Amino acid sequence: MIRLAFIFRELGRNLYRHPGTALGSILSLTLLFLLFNLFWVAAGTSETFYRDLLSELRMEAYIGEDVPDSIATSLTNEIYAIEGIVAAAYVSKHQARAELADQLGVDLLIGYDSLNPLPRSYVLTLDSDMLTSSDMEQISHRLKAIDGIDDVAYSKRFLEKAESTRALILQVGLALGVIILLTALITSSNSIRLMTRARAVGFRQMMLLGASKSFVAMPFVIEGFLIGGLSAVFSWMVVLYGHSRVAFTQLTIVIPTREDILVFCAAAALVGAISGFLGIIRSMK
Amino acid sequence: MKQPLVQLQNVQLRNDRGDFVFRDLNFTLQPEQSAVIAGSAGSGKTTLVELLTGVRFASVGSVEVFGHLLKKGRRSAIRKVRRQIGGIGGPFGLMPLLSVAENITLPLVLAGLRKKDQRERLFKVLTEYSLLKQASEYPPSLTRVENTLTQFARASIANQPLLIIDEPMAGLDKNTWERVHQVLQKVALSGRSMLILTSDLPSQELPQTTYYQLVNGVLQ
Repeated sequence: MIRLAFIFRELGRNLYRHPGTALGSILSLTLLFLLFNLFWVAAGTSETFYRDLLSELRMEAYIGEDVPDSIATSLTNEIYAIEGIVAAAYVSKHQARAELADQLGVDLLIGYDSLNPLPRSYVLTLDSDMLTSSDMEQISHRLKAIDGIDDVAYSKRFLEKAESTRALILQVGLALGVIILLTALITSSNSIRLMTRARAVGFRQMMLLGASKSFVAMPFVIEGFLIGGLSAVFSWMVVLYGHSRVAFTQLTIVIPTREDILVFCAAAALVGAISGFLGIIRSMK
Repeated sequence: MKQPLVQLQNVQLRNDRGDFVFRDLNFTLQPEQSAVIAGSAGSGKTTLVELLTGVRFASVGSVEVFGHLLKKGRRSAIRKVRRQIGGIGGPFGLMPLLSVAENITLPLVLAGLRKKDQRERLFKVLTEYSLLKQASEYPPSLTRVENTLTQFARASIANQPLLIIDEPMAGLDKNTWERVHQVLQKVALSGRSMLILTSDLPSQELPQTTYYQLVNGVLQ
């Protein structure tokens, strides 16, 4: 307890003697974390947008013209046997015509009832886990293998483009995360090294009196912990304040959960503590 | 027979250039005994302090302090030894960012002594070394004698059984020298052991003290 009180007094002394260095580190780290938070929010928002789009994605299996109606309507069992298909709705020529008329606002086939060129089809709803280009490609192949199904259509191009964009966002996020982690480590360890440079002799004297390395290092590790943690908290305060002020009607901005933010702040504090240790370790040699 | 406080056997140590600092150093300090080791500048006095406090290690031979064999990597043993030594002068300076009172009580903080006991002992040593007025001052503002007395106070507060004093008289004027000498006499009579490393042998002998000369890395 006595040692702990001394450690915290040392911490207070550090901050009191070098307020500029501590403030500088907090500000620069806040800015860094803010950049990361904004990217996190943007990635989360685009991911939700992407998922919403995917949930509306359907696959259509067209039935050949020469297949009799009795067979066409009995393909359901074979379709359901394919893994990943959760619903299959049969659309007759008549329903297809009605849907087209509904979409266009006018029935183009009035007077040509016997010449309806629209094919019969099955509109398929897929399991949300199967909404990937490779899985959908596989389902499409299996559908085409069913006797009576002529063709399969789905938004293949859109899906591939959306997947590559999503992968790119993930890669940029990872790269940004690594850069920010390294910068945070270097920034806070440098500022702590600045604070300790003039005190290296004092550390050696303290150790000559029997102080352990951890006792000498602890105030700086706690300081790094506080700098990292506070910077993360400030950066999220800025984001949350901004979010409360800005309202988009077209897009829902997705803010990470409270638990995720807490984990992020704890991780930032941990990075700060590690950099505090790295900052002091050289002065103790 | 009591265990010696310090025992150096056949110690050899070379400096970075490969020259001998100690060729074959043998030295024993028993409890309640004191020793003065005199040597010219560069004779290895401060290196000897470093050997006894686990800052440096003998390349040949053994260094035992309070029964602990000091070897590289034995951090716990080194810490235990350091906490039983009161150091003055040489490498044992004061910490500039701690006040006089904080510097003096640091050994008690490291020992985990209660705040109330710390205050009582602090008041006692501040009175004993006439440092009451300087208690809240910081080392850079102290005079040389106040600085030395603060180190004595720090070395006395935890009642460590061994005091190591590196160049206690260096650069002191006559009045200060006499004051420090009085303190040394008092410590020598108190039953605590002292190891004094000095360039100038004190003109007045200290009680219960053996005198050595460190020449060419060997004690005579």
